[in-house]
Formats: sequence, C-alpha cells, structure tokens
Amino acid sequence: MIAVFESLLSATLSAAPALVFATLGAVLSERSGVINIGVEGMMRLGAFCAAVSALWLPTPVALLVGMLAGALTAAMHALLCLKARADQVVAGMAINLVALAGVTFLLETWFQPYGTPSIAALTRHRFELLEGVPLLRALNGHTWLTPLALVLPFALHILLQRTPFGLRVRTVGERPTAAATLGIPVLRLRTLCVVAGGLFAGLGGAALSLSVLDRFEQHMPAGLGFMAVAAMVFGRWSALGAAGAALFFSAGSALRISLGSGVGGIVDAIPQGFLLALPYVLTLLVLSLQGRRTRPPAALGTPWSPETR
Amino acid sequence: MPEPGRFRRALPSILSVALALLLCLVGLAIAKGSLPLALEAYGQLFIGGLGDIGGWLQGGRITLITRPLGETAIKASLLALVGLSVAVGFRVGLFNIGAQGQMMLGALAAAVVGAQLSLPAWLHVPVCLLVACVAGALWALPAGVLKLRRGVHEVISTIMLNWIAISLIDNWLAVGPLRAAATLGASRSGTDDVQVTAHLPRLFGALSRMNFGLVIALSALVLVWFWLFRSVHGFESRVAGLAPEAAQTAGIAGERRVLSGFLVSGALAGLAGAVWVLGTEFKYPGSLGAPYGFDGIGIALIGQNHPLGVGLSALFFGLMRAGGTRLQLFGVHKSFPELVQGLALLFVAANWAWGQLLARRVRPETGAPGANGDAMRPPLPPGENRVHGAEAGVGAPNASHDDDGATGTGDRTSSPLSKAEGGER
Repeated sequence: MIAVFESLLSATLSAAPALVFATLGAVLSERSGVINIGVEGMMRLGAFCAAVSALWLPTPVALLVGMLAGALTAAMHALLCLKARADQVVAGMAINLVALAGVTFLLETWFQPYGTPSIAALTRHRFELLEGVPLLRALNGHTWLTPLALVLPFALHILLQRTPFGLRVRTVGERPTAAATLGIPVLRLRTLCVVAGGLFAGLGGAALSLSVLDRFEQHMPAGLGFMAVAAMVFGRWSALGAAGAALFFSAGSALRISLGSGVGGIVDAIPQGFLLALPYVLTLLVLSLQGRRTRPPAALGTPWSPETR
Repeated sequence: MPEPGRFRRALPSILSVALALLLCLVGLAIAKGSLPLALEAYGQLFIGGLGDIGGWLQGGRITLITRPLGETAIKASLLALVGLSVAVGFRVGLFNIGAQGQMMLGALAAAVVGAQLSLPAWLHVPVCLLVACVAGALWALPAGVLKLRRGVHEVISTIMLNWIAISLIDNWLAVGPLRAAATLGASRSGTDDVQVTAHLPRLFGALSRMNFGLVIALSALVLVWFWLFRSVHGFESRVAGLAPEAAQTAGIAGERRVLSGFLVSGALAGLAGAVWVLGTEFKYPGSLGAPYGFDGIGIALIGQNHPLGVGLSALFFGLMRAGGTRLQLFGVHKSFPELVQGLALLFVAANWAWGQLLARRVRPETGAPGANGDAMRPPLPPGENRVHGAEAGVGAPNASHDDDGATGTGDRTSSPLSKAEGGER
C-alpha cells in the first residue's frame, strides 16, 4: 500500500510543476485584470522553443529560452488587449490557434511531424539519505523544478497579498480608475503582469519538454493550459488556492495513470474516461455550488484607458 | 441597419486576412529561401481548392475541377456550421468555446443512430441530423443554465464541458462500449459503420465527394440569417445579447432568449458533427481529429458574426484547407492554412484598433474623436460595459465604461463580445 502511495506521490511531484507554473501565470495575469486564456498557446511555444534551443544550448539556458518565448507570446497578448483593446478572450484564443498551427508548421519544417529529437533533460536529483526512508523516498528523482513549484506559490502569494506591489496589482485588477487616481500606471502594471504571467506559462511549457519528457511532442501541452485556467478558477484566483488545485489535478491524473498501469483492481470498475473527466466535472460542480460567491477580479476583461471614467 | 456601412464593417476582416496571407507568404519565402517557390506554393494552394481550371481548359477531365471543389465544399460546410454556431452564441452575448464538445456529441449521436437504427433512407438521414442537433444542444444546456442561474462564466464552463466530452467519448465510449466489434479477426477503431441509408447523398455522383452537407450548411446560414434579422424572436435575442437591461426594460424575456439562442448554437455544432460523420467519415473515428470548435471561433469572428460573413470566410478557409494538402508537394505541412487563419483571427481581434486606423484614414479632419458625426457606422450601444458590472451585482463603479459609444469607433462585432469579456465567472 505504501508503495502505491509512494509511486503516486512521485508521479504527482514530477508532473505537477508544469501545471503549477502555468496556473500561477494565469493567476498573476488575471489578478491584474487581464483574462488569460492563451496559457495553452504560451505553454506550447515555451515547450517548443525550449526543446529546440536545447539541441544547441545547455538545458538550463534552454529553460530560459522557453520562458522568454512564453513572455514574448504574452507580450503579444498584452499588445492586443491593452493597446489594441481587443476582446481578451478572443485574443487569448487567437494566440492558442496561432501557437497550435505555427508550432505544427515549424515542427514539420524543421523536424518530423511527431516531435523533436531527444535532448538532454534536466538532471534528476537523488539523495542517498532519503533512499531508505519510506514515503520520503518519493521526493527522490525529481528535477529542481519540483521544489521550485512548491515554493513559488507561497512567493507569489506573499508578493500579491503582503507587498505594496501586490496591492497595486490587485487594485489595478479591481478598480483601475481608483488606481489611476492614485498615480498607479494601470496599463504599465497590467502589461508587466501579463508578460510575467507568460514567463510562468513558458516555464510550465519548458518543464514539459525538458523535465517531464526529454523532447517536444506534437500534442504538447495537450490541454494542460486549459486545465491551468480551470485550476485558477477552482482556486478562486488566489495563488495558494490555484496552486493547490493544480496539485490536486496533477494527483488526479497521476492516479489515473497508475490505475491504468494496473496498480489497483479498480480500473475495470471505473472506466478511465471518468477519471479523466473528474477534474473538469469537479471544477464545474464547485463553480455551480459556489455560484456568485466565486468572485473574479472586478475589472477582469474590461479594457481600460486613461480617459476612462 | 444602414446599408452603406456593410463594406466598411467587413473591411477589418478583409484586411486581416490579407495581412495574414502576406505575413505567411513572407514566412514561407524565408523558410524555403525563395520567393518564387513560395508564390508557386500559394498558387498550388488555390488550384488545390478551386480546381485546375487551366488543365481542364486544355482538354483535361472535368474531375480536375469537380474533385477539388468537392473537397472545398466539404471543408467549407463544416466550417460554416461550426462558425455559425459560435456566431449565434456571440449574437446572444455568450462566447461558445464549447462548439468542439457539442460537435463531438452530435457526431457520436449521428454515428450511433446511423449505425444502430434501420430506417428507410428518406427518414434515416433526418432522424440522425435531428438527434445530433438535440445532442449538441443538450451539451450546451449546462453551460447556459449555469450562466443564467449561477453566474458561472460560459467560457470556463464550456471549456470544462469540452474536456468532459473528450474524456468520456474519446477515452471511454469510442474505445469501450461503443467500439466496433472486430471483423475477420482485425480490430477496428471507432464506432460501428453507419448504414448506407444514413449516408448523406453525393450531389454529383462519382464526379466529386461534394455531398448534401453543403445544402444543409447553406440552408442553416439562410435560416439563421432570417431568424436573427427578420424575425421578432431573433431581434429580441440580439437585443438580449447586446443589452440585457434594455431587453428587460422593453419587456423581453431576456434570459429565455439567451438560453434558446445558446441551445441553437449547440444544435448547430451538433449538426456539424452529424454532417462530418454522415458525409465523409461514416463512423465516429475515435476522435474529432481537428480543433473544429476553435476553427469555428476564427470563422465566426472573421465573418463578423454575420451569417453572410460566416459563409464567406468558411468558403475561403475551406478552400485553403482543401488546397492545403497540395502544399505537401512543397514540403509544407497541411496545417499552413490553419496558421493563416490563426493569424487572421489575431488581427481581427484588434478590431478596435482597425476602427481607429480606418476612421483616421477616411476622415482625417474631424477634430476630436469624440465627435458623434460618424453616421457611417452604427454607434455602439452606450454603456456596453456597464451591463455586466451591474449583472455581477458587485457594484463596480462602472470603471470600465469608456467612451466607445461616443466615438462610434467600435462596431457591432465588438459589442456582444464585451459582455462575454468577463465581469462574472
């Protein structure tokens, strides 16, 4: 039984970082009042650029390239939403579509249609000390992204809830005009948050291609970006809640995979499809139960300009 | 609506598509290292969609034209139906990202009814289409109800419903209970084959694969246009989508109009699934294979959420899709048209900026942009953004109420969207 739990924990910890980072990116962007439904596309570009650059560059640098790709995509989102005042959901979906088709196109042009060649993945760390301890054993064999994914939510929480900067970000997301009256540069702050959110999403994507796998695969991130959006809503737009939801969703999919590989006898009774659908059904259920109490940032999705009253 | 504005309203879409085409041409020329090659690829793209007219004129067989046109019609009818689905959603003020899931439900329903029921042909096809519509509408229903009763934002709920559909259908039903039994020892993927009585008839026999789906798509476009722009119910639905408060004041049962509009949206997506299964696949092959639902968003927005525009953009991108397979001769992936479409959507998304740009170019000397002189375009309903602030019941002090309405630079497309933009989730 402990072995089952250990393998489950281990699978969760190695899969979770990608989702956690993407979720935090979405939280940061949306708390500043910009809908970010383009996480999927940002992750895809991040994963692709990281994997491609890892063919030539050392892997940690490739990780940075992936983050940068996410940030650049997010900058495009910011330009569309804040400068051109596009509908933010439409802009996000457009980014998803461009990333989907564009990466497929580049993949086909440069490599094979199904993915890039293998690259050197990030090193997985093992500690002799933990090897003999039950349960803690599961902490072995992960990249340094895993501890980062466990610390970063707290860091973002403190940043958003306990610093003047975070207060400004939240004000810009709730009452932009009030913020502007106080001299806070609304649009600049929103741009910053969107781009930083893209940095996180790119990191999440890079985690997929550099840590979870050792190459970019055609279907990446296979809906993980949308799951990040779900986790953000599930966690009520708070950094800790959203990261918790992301961990929960990751555990759910780890459970499904380990059940599928025959660790329990339950898989015959419950079809895999149900387990796959579980996080989404749960999100819907929670949303419908919470109803109007789930309150997003008040100014979410509304364009703002200095002439707004 | 005043007639003169029509072309002007279509201009951002046309320019966006042109810009996307140009950008992709440059990209292709750089990737291949030669501009003539890229131009030739573009030529082949359109020949692949329109047919090799030159070859036919020089005495080639008629199938040189009919085959490509048939492929174009197949792709275009699917795109038109999904695009129409999303457009109807926008018109009643809801962003239907769930067309993908609704289409899957419709496709599966059509495949099951088409395979399991034995009916005469004149009855079998309509029954399949009807069941698919109902299935699609049923998959849209939770999102609509959750939006109206519990204030759950439809973008989130339809994304969830998409993934629930994918999990349940592609990972369970299509590979489990509904999977076709192995024949002659060879296992088959997807569901049982649809009976011949449920196949959509081909319009030109052996000349092309063009099938009755084209007729279905065209009639759907006309019917939706008539409903939205020539019927009281449709008018009320649009009002309810544009300005729920105005609808309420005018005594329109706004919520019911929005819900019924959203069900129509789901039904259209389901219909697309049925046309796909009964027209070309003849079974549910295990997955939808392409993000049709997302394509629908692109088609709807590039078509400015108008049935005519949706039809035209579906035709254009259907043509490119059909020709896309020809690009593989040049070593270009057939996803190239999707890239063009994505970029075009990206540019169309900047609708407001296009409005500014065009207004500046056409009337450089109007002085303050706030002047309400521009009679060419229908003004945006004032207070568009106020709507959801009030609806959310959080008493946001209309922080978002900008002066779009006064400048008249927004156009009709942007208005139903802005309600979908957020506010409540």
